[in-house]
Amino acid sequence: MISFIILMSIIVCFSAIIALALNFQWGLGGMVNFGLTGLYALGAYACAILMTRFGMNTFVGAVGAMVIVAAVSALVALVTLRVSEEDYFAIVTLGVGEMLRLVALNEDWLTNGALGITGVPRPFGDVIPPEYYQYFMLGLSLTLLLGTLALLNVLARSPFGRIMRAVREDDVVAATLGKRVPWAHVRIFVLGGALIGLAGSLHAFYYQYIDPTQFSNVVIAYAFMAVISGGRGAHFGTIMGAAAVMVLLEGSRFAKEIIPGLDSDQLAAIRIIMIGVGLILLLIFRPHGFMREYRLQVSLK
Amino acid sequence: MILQTAFNGFVSGIIVTLPALAITLLFGVLKFPNFAVGSMMTLAAYVVFALNVQLGLPLTLATAIGAILFGGVLIFIDALTFRPLRERGSITLMVASLGLGFVLENIARLAYGNTARSFALELARPFRFLDVRMNREQMIAIVAASIALVAMYFLLTRMPIGRAMRAVADNPALALVRGIESPTVIRWTWFIAGVLLAVGGVLIGMDRALEPPMGSNYLIMVFAAAILGGLGSPLGAFVGALIIGIVSELSTLVIAPNYRIGIPLCVIALILIFRPQGLFGQPHIRR
Repeated sequence: MISFIILMSIIVCFSAIIALALNFQWGLGGMVNFGLTGLYALGAYACAILMTRFGMNTFVGAVGAMVIVAAVSALVALVTLRVSEEDYFAIVTLGVGEMLRLVALNEDWLTNGALGITGVPRPFGDVIPPEYYQYFMLGLSLTLLLGTLALLNVLARSPFGRIMRAVREDDVVAATLGKRVPWAHVRIFVLGGALIGLAGSLHAFYYQYIDPTQFSNVVIAYAFMAVISGGRGAHFGTIMGAAAVMVLLEGSRFAKEIIPGLDSDQLAAIRIIMIGVGLILLLIFRPHGFMREYRLQVSLK
Repeated sequence: MILQTAFNGFVSGIIVTLPALAITLLFGVLKFPNFAVGSMMTLAAYVVFALNVQLGLPLTLATAIGAILFGGVLIFIDALTFRPLRERGSITLMVASLGLGFVLENIARLAYGNTARSFALELARPFRFLDVRMNREQMIAIVAASIALVAMYFLLTRMPIGRAMRAVADNPALALVRGIESPTVIRWTWFIAGVLLAVGGVLIGMDRALEPPMGSNYLIMVFAAAILGGLGSPLGAFVGALIIGIVSELSTLVIAPNYRIGIPLCVIALILIFRPQGLFGQPHIRR
Protein backbone atom coordinates (compact mmCIF):
# COMPACT_ATOMS: atom_id res chain seq x y z
CA MET A 1 0.00 0.00 0.00
CA ILE A 2 2.80 2.38 0.97
CA SER A 3 4.59 1.69 -2.27
CA PHE A 4 1.36 2.28 -4.20
CA ILE A 5 0.99 5.69 -2.54
CA ILE A 6 4.61 6.52 -3.35
CA LEU A 7 4.12 5.40 -6.95
CA MET A 8 1.00 7.57 -7.23
CA SER A 9 2.83 10.55 -5.74
CA ILE A 10 5.67 10.21 -8.23
CA ILE A 11 3.19 10.05 -11.13
CA VAL A 12 1.39 13.08 -9.72
CA CYS A 13 4.71 14.93 -9.71
CA PHE A 14 5.32 14.29 -13.45
CA SER A 15 1.81 15.26 -14.36
CA ALA A 16 1.97 18.33 -12.16
CA ILE A 17 5.13 19.47 -13.97
CA ILE A 18 3.42 18.95 -17.35
CA ALA A 19 0.33 20.75 -16.09
CA LEU A 20 2.50 23.62 -14.82
CA ALA A 21 4.17 23.82 -18.23
CA LEU A 22 0.78 23.98 -19.94
CA ASN A 23 -0.41 26.48 -17.36
CA PHE A 24 2.64 28.61 -18.12
CA GLN A 25 2.07 28.47 -21.87
CA TRP A 26 -1.70 28.61 -21.94
CA GLY A 27 -2.83 29.87 -18.52
CA LEU A 28 -0.35 32.73 -18.31
CA GLY A 29 0.73 33.20 -21.89
CA GLY A 30 -2.48 32.38 -23.72
CA MET A 31 -0.82 29.94 -26.14
CA VAL A 32 -2.57 26.59 -26.48
CA ASN A 33 -0.33 23.58 -26.87
CA PHE A 34 -2.02 20.59 -28.47
CA GLY A 35 1.35 18.99 -29.18
CA LEU A 36 1.96 18.31 -25.51
CA THR A 37 2.05 14.53 -25.86
CA GLY A 38 4.55 14.60 -28.70
CA LEU A 39 6.81 17.03 -26.88
CA TYR A 40 6.59 14.97 -23.69
CA ALA A 41 7.55 11.88 -25.69
CA LEU A 42 10.38 13.84 -27.30
CA GLY A 43 11.68 14.74 -23.83
CA ALA A 44 11.58 11.15 -22.62
CA TYR A 45 13.16 9.78 -25.80
CA ALA A 46 15.82 12.49 -25.98
CA CYS A 47 16.85 11.77 -22.42
CA ALA A 48 16.86 8.00 -22.91
CA ILE A 49 18.73 8.17 -26.23
CA LEU A 50 21.36 10.59 -24.93
CA MET A 51 22.09 8.18 -22.10
CA THR A 52 21.84 4.78 -23.79
CA ARG A 53 23.29 5.63 -27.21
CA PHE A 54 25.73 8.39 -26.41
CA GLY A 55 26.70 7.32 -22.90
CA MET A 56 25.86 10.65 -21.30
CA ASN A 57 25.25 10.73 -17.58
CA THR A 58 21.76 11.29 -16.19
CA PHE A 59 22.23 15.00 -15.52
CA VAL A 60 23.37 15.72 -19.07
CA GLY A 61 20.52 13.52 -20.33
CA ALA A 62 17.89 15.52 -18.50
CA VAL A 63 19.35 18.91 -19.40
CA GLY A 64 19.83 17.77 -22.98
CA ALA A 65 16.18 16.69 -23.13
CA MET A 66 15.10 20.10 -21.83
CA VAL A 67 17.24 21.90 -24.41
CA ILE A 68 15.99 19.72 -27.28
CA VAL A 69 12.31 20.12 -26.39
CA ALA A 70 12.82 23.85 -25.91
CA ALA A 71 14.47 24.09 -29.34
CA VAL A 72 11.61 22.26 -31.06
CA SER A 73 9.14 24.49 -29.22
CA ALA A 74 11.02 27.55 -30.43
CA LEU A 75 10.74 26.29 -33.99
CA VAL A 76 6.98 25.84 -33.59
CA ALA A 77 6.59 29.33 -32.19
CA LEU A 78 8.71 30.80 -35.01
CA VAL A 79 6.63 29.14 -37.73
CA THR A 80 3.48 30.79 -36.44
CA LEU A 81 5.01 34.24 -35.92
CA ARG A 82 3.04 35.88 -38.70
CA VAL A 83 -0.39 34.75 -37.61
CA SER A 84 -1.57 36.00 -34.27
CA GLU A 85 -4.70 33.82 -34.09
CA GLU A 86 -4.53 30.95 -31.64
CA ASP A 87 -6.39 28.77 -34.15
CA TYR A 88 -3.39 28.23 -36.40
CA PHE A 89 -1.11 27.76 -33.47
CA ALA A 90 -3.31 24.98 -32.15
CA ILE A 91 -3.29 23.20 -35.52
CA VAL A 92 0.49 23.48 -35.91
CA THR A 93 1.18 22.20 -32.40
CA LEU A 94 -1.19 19.29 -32.93
CA GLY A 95 0.55 18.41 -36.19
CA VAL A 96 4.04 18.64 -34.71
CA GLY A 97 2.97 16.47 -31.79
CA GLU A 98 1.64 13.79 -34.15
CA MET A 99 4.80 13.97 -36.22
CA LEU A 100 7.02 13.47 -33.18
CA ARG A 101 5.01 10.43 -32.17
CA LEU A 102 5.35 9.02 -35.68
CA VAL A 103 9.11 9.51 -35.54
CA ALA A 104 9.24 7.65 -32.22
CA LEU A 105 7.26 4.80 -33.71
CA ASN A 106 9.03 4.51 -37.07
CA GLU A 107 12.70 5.40 -36.70
CA ASP A 108 13.90 2.01 -35.50
CA TRP A 109 17.58 2.89 -35.74
CA LEU A 110 17.12 5.71 -33.23
CA THR A 111 14.16 4.89 -31.04
CA ASN A 112 13.89 1.12 -31.47
CA GLY A 113 10.39 1.60 -32.88
CA ALA A 114 7.46 -0.11 -31.25
CA LEU A 115 9.76 -2.19 -29.04
CA GLY A 116 10.88 0.88 -27.15
CA ILE A 117 14.11 1.63 -25.31
CA THR A 118 14.96 -0.52 -22.32
CA GLY A 119 17.46 -0.18 -19.54
CA VAL A 120 17.41 3.58 -19.18
CA PRO A 121 19.88 4.46 -16.39
CA ARG A 122 18.63 6.52 -13.49
CA PRO A 123 20.23 9.13 -11.33
CA PHE A 124 22.44 7.54 -8.63
CA GLY A 125 20.97 4.20 -9.71
CA ASP A 126 24.16 2.31 -8.79
CA VAL A 127 24.72 4.07 -5.46
CA ILE A 128 21.27 3.78 -3.87
CA PRO A 129 20.08 0.26 -3.04
CA PRO A 130 17.01 -0.73 -5.11
CA GLU A 131 14.73 -1.16 -2.10
CA TYR A 132 15.16 2.50 -1.17
CA TYR A 133 15.18 3.82 -4.69
CA GLN A 134 11.50 4.72 -4.82
CA TYR A 135 11.95 7.05 -1.82
CA PHE A 136 14.82 8.76 -3.56
CA MET A 137 12.78 9.06 -6.76
CA LEU A 138 9.90 10.59 -4.82
CA GLY A 139 12.25 13.05 -3.16
CA LEU A 140 13.83 13.97 -6.49
CA SER A 141 10.47 14.45 -8.21
CA LEU A 142 9.11 16.52 -5.34
CA THR A 143 12.23 18.69 -5.29
CA LEU A 144 12.00 19.30 -9.03
CA LEU A 145 8.28 20.03 -8.77
CA LEU A 146 8.83 22.53 -5.95
CA GLY A 147 11.73 24.07 -7.85
CA THR A 148 9.51 24.45 -10.91
CA LEU A 149 6.78 25.98 -8.77
CA ALA A 150 9.21 28.46 -7.20
CA LEU A 151 10.65 29.41 -10.59
CA LEU A 152 7.20 29.95 -12.09
CA ASN A 153 6.06 31.99 -9.10
CA VAL A 154 9.05 34.29 -9.51
CA LEU A 155 8.46 34.52 -13.28
CA ALA A 156 4.76 35.30 -12.86
CA ARG A 157 5.59 38.23 -10.59
CA SER A 158 8.45 39.51 -12.73
CA PRO A 159 8.19 42.10 -15.52
CA PHE A 160 8.13 39.18 -17.96
CA GLY A 161 5.10 37.77 -16.14
CA ARG A 162 3.31 41.06 -16.66
CA ILE A 163 4.18 41.07 -20.35
CA MET A 164 2.85 37.51 -20.61
CA ARG A 165 -0.48 38.41 -19.09
CA ALA A 166 -0.72 41.52 -21.24
CA VAL A 167 -0.08 39.45 -24.37
CA ARG A 168 -2.65 36.90 -23.24
CA GLU A 169 -5.36 39.47 -22.55
CA ASP A 170 -4.89 41.55 -25.67
CA ASP A 171 -1.84 41.27 -27.86
CA VAL A 172 -2.77 44.36 -29.87
CA VAL A 173 -2.74 46.52 -26.75
CA ALA A 174 0.52 44.91 -25.63
CA ALA A 175 2.05 45.61 -29.05
CA THR A 176 0.79 49.19 -28.95
CA LEU A 177 2.52 49.66 -25.61
CA GLY A 178 5.80 48.66 -27.25
CA LYS A 179 5.99 45.08 -26.06
CA ARG A 180 7.44 42.68 -28.61
CA VAL A 181 4.62 40.16 -28.86
CA PRO A 182 6.28 37.56 -31.15
CA TRP A 183 9.43 37.52 -29.02
CA ALA A 184 7.27 37.06 -25.90
CA HIS A 185 5.49 34.17 -27.63
CA VAL A 186 8.79 32.46 -28.44
CA ARG A 187 10.09 32.86 -24.88
CA ILE A 188 6.84 31.58 -23.36
CA PHE A 189 6.85 28.53 -25.56
CA VAL A 190 10.55 27.78 -25.06
CA LEU A 191 10.35 27.96 -21.26
CA GLY A 192 7.25 25.76 -21.22
CA GLY A 193 8.98 23.36 -23.60
CA ALA A 194 11.98 23.06 -21.27
CA LEU A 195 9.62 22.08 -18.44
CA ILE A 196 7.94 19.47 -20.63
CA GLY A 197 11.41 18.10 -21.42
CA LEU A 198 12.11 17.89 -17.69
CA ALA A 199 8.89 15.96 -17.09
CA GLY A 200 9.76 13.68 -20.01
CA SER A 201 13.18 12.85 -18.59
CA LEU A 202 11.66 12.10 -15.18
CA HIS A 203 9.29 9.74 -16.97
CA ALA A 204 12.26 7.98 -18.59
CA PHE A 205 14.13 7.73 -15.27
CA TYR A 206 11.17 6.40 -13.42
CA TYR A 207 9.97 3.74 -15.84
CA GLN A 208 13.47 2.88 -17.17
CA TYR A 209 11.66 1.67 -20.25
CA ILE A 210 9.85 3.80 -22.82
CA ASP A 211 7.81 2.86 -25.85
CA PRO A 212 5.41 4.82 -28.09
CA THR A 213 2.24 3.48 -26.44
CA GLN A 214 3.06 5.27 -23.19
CA PHE A 215 2.45 8.60 -24.88
CA SER A 216 -1.17 8.63 -25.93
CA ASN A 217 -2.89 11.85 -26.88
CA VAL A 218 -5.10 11.67 -23.80
CA VAL A 219 -2.21 13.25 -21.86
CA ILE A 220 -3.34 16.53 -23.44
CA ALA A 221 -6.80 16.09 -21.97
CA TYR A 222 -5.35 15.33 -18.51
CA ALA A 223 -3.18 18.40 -18.61
CA PHE A 224 -5.99 20.67 -19.74
CA MET A 225 -8.27 19.26 -17.04
CA ALA A 226 -5.63 19.88 -14.40
CA VAL A 227 -5.08 23.46 -15.52
CA ILE A 228 -8.77 24.30 -15.88
CA SER A 229 -9.81 22.71 -12.61
CA GLY A 230 -6.93 24.36 -10.80
CA GLY A 231 -7.78 27.75 -12.23
CA ARG A 232 -5.92 29.12 -15.24
CA GLY A 233 -2.80 30.94 -14.14
CA ALA A 234 -2.93 29.67 -10.54
CA HIS A 235 0.23 27.58 -10.00
CA PHE A 236 -0.65 25.89 -6.76
CA GLY A 237 -4.18 25.28 -8.00
CA THR A 238 -2.73 23.58 -11.08
CA ILE A 239 -0.71 21.19 -8.90
CA MET A 240 -3.81 20.37 -6.86
CA GLY A 241 -5.74 19.93 -10.11
CA ALA A 242 -3.11 17.56 -11.47
CA ALA A 243 -3.18 15.56 -8.23
CA ALA A 244 -6.98 15.32 -8.26
CA VAL A 245 -7.12 14.32 -11.93
CA MET A 246 -4.41 11.68 -11.61
CA VAL A 247 -5.88 10.16 -8.44
CA LEU A 248 -9.31 9.96 -10.08
CA LEU A 249 -7.83 8.46 -13.24
CA GLU A 250 -5.66 5.89 -11.53
CA GLY A 251 -8.54 5.14 -9.18
CA SER A 252 -10.77 4.45 -12.17
CA ARG A 253 -8.55 1.46 -12.96
CA PHE A 254 -10.34 -0.25 -10.08
CA ALA A 255 -13.63 0.19 -11.95
CA LYS A 256 -12.84 -3.14 -13.57
CA GLU A 257 -14.09 -4.92 -10.45
CA ILE A 258 -17.32 -2.92 -10.42
CA ILE A 259 -18.36 -3.36 -14.07
CA PRO A 260 -17.93 -7.01 -15.05
CA GLY A 261 -18.07 -8.40 -18.55
CA LEU A 262 -15.95 -5.78 -20.29
CA ASP A 263 -12.63 -6.47 -21.94
CA SER A 264 -9.64 -4.21 -21.40
CA ASP A 265 -10.11 -2.34 -24.70
CA GLN A 266 -13.65 -1.44 -23.72
CA LEU A 267 -12.58 -0.35 -20.24
CA ALA A 268 -9.88 1.84 -21.74
CA ALA A 269 -12.47 3.33 -24.09
CA ILE A 270 -14.83 4.05 -21.20
CA ARG A 271 -12.06 5.78 -19.28
CA ILE A 272 -11.21 8.01 -22.23
CA ILE A 273 -14.89 8.80 -22.75
CA MET A 274 -15.11 9.84 -19.10
CA ILE A 275 -12.02 12.01 -19.48
CA GLY A 276 -13.47 13.75 -22.53
CA VAL A 277 -16.85 14.27 -20.92
CA GLY A 278 -15.15 15.53 -17.76
CA LEU A 279 -13.12 18.03 -19.77
CA ILE A 280 -16.23 19.38 -21.51
CA LEU A 281 -18.21 19.55 -18.26
CA LEU A 282 -15.37 21.43 -16.59
CA LEU A 283 -15.29 23.93 -19.45
CA ILE A 284 -19.03 24.45 -19.26
CA PHE A 285 -19.59 24.56 -15.51
CA ARG A 286 -16.25 25.44 -13.90
CA PRO A 287 -14.28 27.42 -16.47
CA HIS A 288 -12.46 29.42 -13.82
CA GLY A 289 -11.49 26.47 -11.69
CA PHE A 290 -11.18 26.34 -7.96
CA MET A 291 -8.31 28.71 -7.33
CA ARG A 292 -7.42 32.18 -8.50
CA GLU A 293 -4.46 33.52 -10.34
CA TYR A 294 -1.95 35.65 -8.45
CA ARG A 295 -2.92 39.31 -8.45
CA LEU A 296 -0.83 42.15 -7.20
CA GLN A 297 -2.62 43.47 -4.16
CA VAL A 298 -1.86 46.85 -2.62
CA SER A 299 -3.37 47.79 0.67
CA LEU A 300 -4.35 51.42 0.91
CA LYS A 301 -4.07 51.80 4.66
CA MET B 1 4.15 4.84 -61.97
CA ILE B 2 4.04 8.59 -61.43
CA LEU B 3 0.73 8.75 -63.24
CA GLN B 4 -0.67 5.97 -61.05
CA THR B 5 0.52 7.68 -57.85
CA ALA B 6 -0.86 11.01 -59.02
CA PHE B 7 -4.21 9.37 -59.71
CA ASN B 8 -4.25 7.79 -56.24
CA GLY B 9 -3.39 11.20 -54.82
CA PHE B 10 -6.21 12.78 -56.78
CA VAL B 11 -8.63 10.27 -55.28
CA SER B 12 -7.40 10.79 -51.72
CA GLY B 13 -7.53 14.52 -52.36
CA ILE B 14 -11.12 14.39 -53.52
CA ILE B 15 -12.03 12.33 -50.44
CA VAL B 16 -10.39 14.94 -48.21
CA THR B 17 -12.39 17.66 -49.97
CA LEU B 18 -15.51 16.68 -48.05
CA PRO B 19 -14.18 17.01 -44.49
CA ALA B 20 -12.17 20.06 -45.56
CA LEU B 21 -15.39 21.71 -46.74
CA ALA B 22 -17.07 20.73 -43.46
CA ILE B 23 -14.22 22.28 -41.44
CA THR B 24 -14.23 25.43 -43.48
CA LEU B 25 -18.02 25.85 -43.19
CA LEU B 26 -17.92 25.22 -39.44
CA PHE B 27 -15.01 27.61 -39.08
CA GLY B 28 -16.75 30.28 -41.12
CA VAL B 29 -19.93 30.21 -39.07
CA LEU B 30 -18.64 29.28 -35.61
CA LYS B 31 -15.16 30.86 -35.78
CA PHE B 32 -13.11 28.05 -34.30
CA PRO B 33 -11.21 25.11 -35.79
CA ASN B 34 -13.04 21.96 -34.82
CA PHE B 35 -10.64 19.21 -33.80
CA ALA B 36 -13.44 16.69 -33.42
CA VAL B 37 -14.09 16.36 -37.16
CA GLY B 38 -11.78 13.36 -37.49
CA SER B 39 -13.61 11.41 -34.83
CA MET B 40 -16.92 12.61 -36.23
CA MET B 41 -16.03 10.95 -39.53
CA THR B 42 -15.14 7.76 -37.67
CA LEU B 43 -18.40 7.66 -35.77
CA ALA B 44 -20.44 8.45 -38.89
CA ALA B 45 -18.68 5.68 -40.79
CA TYR B 46 -19.59 3.24 -38.02
CA VAL B 47 -23.22 4.40 -38.11
CA VAL B 48 -23.26 3.60 -41.83
CA PHE B 49 -21.47 0.32 -41.08
CA ALA B 50 -24.26 -0.63 -38.67
CA LEU B 51 -26.93 0.15 -41.28
CA ASN B 52 -25.01 -1.53 -44.09
CA VAL B 53 -23.62 -4.67 -42.49
CA GLN B 54 -25.85 -5.26 -39.49
CA LEU B 55 -29.18 -4.26 -41.03
CA GLY B 56 -28.20 -5.42 -44.50
CA LEU B 57 -29.08 -2.24 -46.41
CA PRO B 58 -27.25 -1.55 -49.67
CA LEU B 59 -24.30 0.78 -49.10
CA THR B 60 -25.76 3.71 -51.06
CA LEU B 61 -29.01 3.68 -49.10
CA ALA B 62 -27.15 3.12 -45.83
CA THR B 63 -24.90 6.11 -46.56
CA ALA B 64 -27.86 8.33 -47.41
CA ILE B 65 -29.77 7.40 -44.24
CA GLY B 66 -26.61 7.49 -42.13
CA ALA B 67 -25.63 10.92 -43.43
CA ILE B 68 -29.01 12.46 -42.62
CA LEU B 69 -29.05 10.74 -39.24
CA PHE B 70 -25.56 11.96 -38.48
CA GLY B 71 -26.47 15.52 -39.43
CA GLY B 72 -29.13 15.33 -36.73
CA VAL B 73 -26.65 13.82 -34.27
CA LEU B 74 -24.29 16.74 -34.78
CA ILE B 75 -27.08 19.27 -34.11
CA PHE B 76 -27.73 17.41 -30.88
CA ILE B 77 -24.02 17.26 -29.95
CA ASP B 78 -23.71 20.97 -30.65
CA ALA B 79 -26.60 21.73 -28.32
CA LEU B 80 -24.92 19.73 -25.54
CA THR B 81 -21.31 20.85 -25.89
CA PHE B 82 -20.67 23.89 -28.02
CA ARG B 83 -23.80 25.97 -27.49
CA PRO B 84 -23.12 26.57 -23.77
CA LEU B 85 -19.58 27.66 -24.71
CA ARG B 86 -20.45 29.78 -27.74
CA GLU B 87 -19.47 33.14 -26.23
CA ARG B 88 -16.26 31.92 -24.56
CA GLY B 89 -13.75 32.48 -27.31
CA SER B 90 -12.07 30.14 -29.70
CA ILE B 91 -9.53 28.52 -27.34
CA THR B 92 -12.24 27.18 -25.03
CA LEU B 93 -14.16 25.84 -28.01
CA MET B 94 -11.04 24.20 -29.44
CA VAL B 95 -10.27 22.48 -26.15
CA ALA B 96 -13.87 21.31 -25.92
CA SER B 97 -13.71 19.97 -29.47
CA LEU B 98 -10.53 18.06 -28.59
CA GLY B 99 -12.34 16.46 -25.64
CA LEU B 100 -15.33 15.71 -27.83
CA GLY B 101 -13.02 14.03 -30.32
CA PHE B 102 -11.78 11.64 -27.62
CA VAL B 103 -15.36 10.87 -26.60
CA LEU B 104 -16.66 10.15 -30.12
CA GLU B 105 -13.71 8.03 -31.18
CA ASN B 106 -14.01 5.92 -28.07
CA ILE B 107 -17.76 5.48 -28.42
CA ALA B 108 -16.93 3.81 -31.72
CA ARG B 109 -14.18 1.78 -30.04
CA LEU B 110 -16.50 0.75 -27.21
CA ALA B 111 -19.14 -0.46 -29.64
CA TYR B 112 -16.97 -2.15 -32.28
CA GLY B 113 -13.55 -2.69 -30.71
CA ASN B 114 -10.15 -2.10 -32.28
CA THR B 115 -10.39 -4.64 -35.09
CA ALA B 116 -10.48 -3.26 -38.62
CA ARG B 117 -13.77 -3.81 -40.44
CA SER B 118 -15.06 -3.13 -43.90
CA PHE B 119 -18.35 -2.35 -45.60
CA ALA B 120 -20.39 -5.04 -47.29
CA LEU B 121 -19.47 -4.37 -50.88
CA GLU B 122 -18.82 -7.17 -53.32
CA LEU B 123 -15.37 -7.22 -54.83
CA ALA B 124 -14.92 -5.98 -58.35
CA ARG B 125 -12.04 -6.23 -60.74
CA PRO B 126 -10.07 -2.99 -61.16
CA PHE B 127 -9.91 -1.71 -64.72
CA ARG B 128 -7.16 0.06 -66.60
CA PHE B 129 -7.22 3.32 -68.46
CA LEU B 130 -4.04 4.77 -70.02
CA ASP B 131 -1.98 2.36 -67.92
CA VAL B 132 -3.55 3.66 -64.71
CA ARG B 133 -5.20 1.06 -62.56
CA MET B 134 -8.47 2.29 -61.09
CA ASN B 135 -10.49 0.21 -58.69
CA ARG B 136 -14.19 0.52 -58.18
CA GLU B 137 -13.87 2.12 -54.71
CA GLN B 138 -11.90 4.94 -56.30
CA MET B 139 -14.54 5.49 -58.98
CA ILE B 140 -17.26 5.52 -56.33
CA ALA B 141 -15.24 8.06 -54.34
CA ILE B 142 -14.85 10.34 -57.34
CA VAL B 143 -18.53 10.16 -58.27
CA ALA B 144 -19.83 10.56 -54.70
CA ALA B 145 -17.51 13.43 -53.88
CA SER B 146 -18.35 15.21 -57.14
CA ILE B 147 -22.06 14.95 -56.44
CA ALA B 148 -21.52 16.31 -52.93
CA LEU B 149 -19.42 19.17 -54.26
CA VAL B 150 -21.93 20.20 -56.92
CA ALA B 151 -24.70 20.03 -54.34
CA MET B 152 -22.63 22.19 -51.98
CA TYR B 153 -22.01 24.71 -54.75
CA PHE B 154 -25.73 25.08 -55.45
CA LEU B 155 -26.51 25.20 -51.78
CA LEU B 156 -24.03 27.97 -51.06
CA THR B 157 -24.79 30.11 -54.11
CA ARG B 158 -28.41 29.48 -55.00
CA MET B 159 -30.28 28.56 -51.85
CA PRO B 160 -31.36 31.03 -49.14
CA ILE B 161 -29.80 28.98 -46.34
CA GLY B 162 -26.47 28.85 -48.17
CA ARG B 163 -26.48 32.59 -48.68
CA ALA B 164 -27.41 33.06 -45.02
CA MET B 165 -24.47 30.85 -44.04
CA ARG B 166 -22.08 32.89 -46.12
CA ALA B 167 -23.53 36.09 -44.68
CA VAL B 168 -23.03 34.91 -41.10
CA ALA B 169 -19.52 33.73 -41.94
CA ASP B 170 -18.69 37.05 -43.51
CA ASN B 171 -20.07 39.40 -40.88
CA PRO B 172 -22.19 38.03 -38.04
CA ALA B 173 -23.30 41.44 -36.76
CA LEU B 174 -24.45 42.61 -40.20
CA ALA B 175 -26.24 39.31 -40.79
CA LEU B 176 -28.06 39.75 -37.49
CA VAL B 177 -29.11 43.28 -38.41
CA ARG B 178 -30.48 41.97 -41.69
CA GLY B 179 -32.71 39.58 -39.79
CA ILE B 180 -30.77 36.35 -40.33
CA GLU B 181 -31.32 34.11 -37.35
CA SER B 182 -27.96 32.74 -36.42
CA PRO B 183 -29.24 29.76 -34.34
CA THR B 184 -31.02 28.43 -37.42
CA VAL B 185 -27.98 29.01 -39.59
CA ILE B 186 -25.77 27.26 -37.03
CA ARG B 187 -28.09 24.23 -36.94
CA TRP B 188 -28.08 24.00 -40.72
CA THR B 189 -24.31 24.33 -40.79
CA TRP B 190 -23.94 21.39 -38.40
CA PHE B 191 -26.40 19.37 -40.41
CA ILE B 192 -24.57 19.99 -43.68
CA ALA B 193 -21.23 19.35 -42.01
CA GLY B 194 -22.66 16.10 -40.67
CA VAL B 195 -23.69 14.97 -44.14
CA LEU B 196 -20.28 15.88 -45.60
CA LEU B 197 -18.42 14.15 -42.79
CA ALA B 198 -20.55 11.02 -43.04
CA VAL B 199 -19.92 10.71 -46.78
CA GLY B 200 -16.23 11.49 -46.19
CA GLY B 201 -16.06 8.87 -43.44
CA VAL B 202 -17.65 6.22 -45.65
CA LEU B 203 -15.25 6.99 -48.51
CA ILE B 204 -12.24 6.79 -46.17
CA GLY B 205 -13.58 3.53 -44.74
CA MET B 206 -13.92 2.17 -48.27
CA ASP B 207 -10.49 3.37 -49.36
CA ARG B 208 -8.68 2.01 -46.26
CA ALA B 209 -10.60 0.18 -43.50
CA LEU B 210 -12.99 1.01 -40.69
CA GLU B 211 -11.11 1.38 -37.42
CA PRO B 212 -11.39 3.86 -34.55
CA PRO B 213 -8.42 6.11 -35.44
CA MET B 214 -9.35 6.24 -39.16
CA GLY B 215 -10.77 9.75 -38.98
CA SER B 216 -8.23 11.35 -36.68
CA ASN B 217 -5.45 10.07 -38.94
CA TYR B 218 -6.79 12.42 -41.58
CA LEU B 219 -7.12 15.42 -39.26
CA ILE B 220 -3.84 17.12 -40.11
CA MET B 221 -4.35 16.54 -43.84
CA VAL B 222 -7.86 18.01 -43.65
CA PHE B 223 -6.64 21.07 -41.77
CA ALA B 224 -3.76 21.51 -44.19
CA ALA B 225 -6.25 21.49 -47.08
CA ALA B 226 -8.50 24.01 -45.37
CA ILE B 227 -5.61 26.32 -44.41
CA LEU B 228 -3.99 26.06 -47.84
CA GLY B 229 -7.25 27.17 -49.40
CA GLY B 230 -7.75 29.85 -46.76
CA LEU B 231 -9.82 28.85 -43.72
CA GLY B 232 -13.42 29.77 -44.40
CA SER B 233 -13.29 29.66 -48.22
CA PRO B 234 -15.23 26.71 -49.68
CA LEU B 235 -13.60 26.95 -53.11
CA GLY B 236 -10.22 27.13 -51.39
CA ALA B 237 -10.98 23.98 -49.40
CA PHE B 238 -11.64 22.12 -52.64
CA VAL B 239 -8.49 23.25 -54.41
CA GLY B 240 -6.43 22.87 -51.24
CA ALA B 241 -7.60 19.31 -50.71
CA LEU B 242 -6.72 18.28 -54.27
CA ILE B 243 -3.24 19.82 -54.01
CA ILE B 244 -2.58 18.24 -50.61
CA GLY B 245 -3.83 14.86 -51.78
CA ILE B 246 -1.70 14.75 -54.91
CA VAL B 247 1.42 16.21 -53.32
CA SER B 248 1.39 13.95 -50.28
CA GLU B 249 0.75 10.86 -52.38
CA LEU B 250 3.56 11.78 -54.79
CA SER B 251 5.84 12.37 -51.81
CA THR B 252 5.64 8.67 -50.98
CA LEU B 253 7.84 8.09 -54.06
CA VAL B 254 10.69 9.86 -52.24
CA ILE B 255 10.02 9.62 -48.51
CA ALA B 256 8.77 6.78 -46.28
CA PRO B 257 4.99 6.39 -46.51
CA ASN B 258 4.76 6.46 -42.71
CA TYR B 259 5.52 10.15 -42.80
CA ARG B 260 2.73 11.04 -45.17
CA ILE B 261 1.37 13.57 -42.64
CA GLY B 262 4.72 15.34 -42.71
CA ILE B 263 3.89 16.86 -46.11
CA PRO B 264 0.60 18.47 -45.00
CA LEU B 265 2.42 19.73 -41.92
CA CYS B 266 5.16 21.32 -44.02
CA VAL B 267 2.48 22.84 -46.26
CA ILE B 268 0.81 24.37 -43.20
CA ALA B 269 4.14 25.78 -42.02
CA LEU B 270 5.02 27.24 -45.43
CA ILE B 271 1.57 28.76 -45.86
CA LEU B 272 1.68 30.34 -42.41
CA ILE B 273 5.10 31.80 -43.10
CA PHE B 274 4.55 33.08 -46.64
CA ARG B 275 0.83 33.55 -47.19
CA PRO B 276 -1.12 33.28 -43.92
CA GLN B 277 -4.45 33.99 -45.55
CA GLY B 278 -4.15 30.94 -47.81
CA LEU B 279 -4.64 30.78 -51.56
CA PHE B 280 -8.22 32.00 -51.66
CA GLY B 281 -8.67 33.76 -48.33
CA GLN B 282 -8.92 37.46 -47.74
CA PRO B 283 -6.03 39.08 -45.85
CA HIS B 284 -7.20 39.35 -42.29
CA ILE B 285 -7.37 42.82 -40.81
CA ARG B 286 -7.41 42.97 -37.05
CA ARG B 287 -9.28 45.72 -35.33
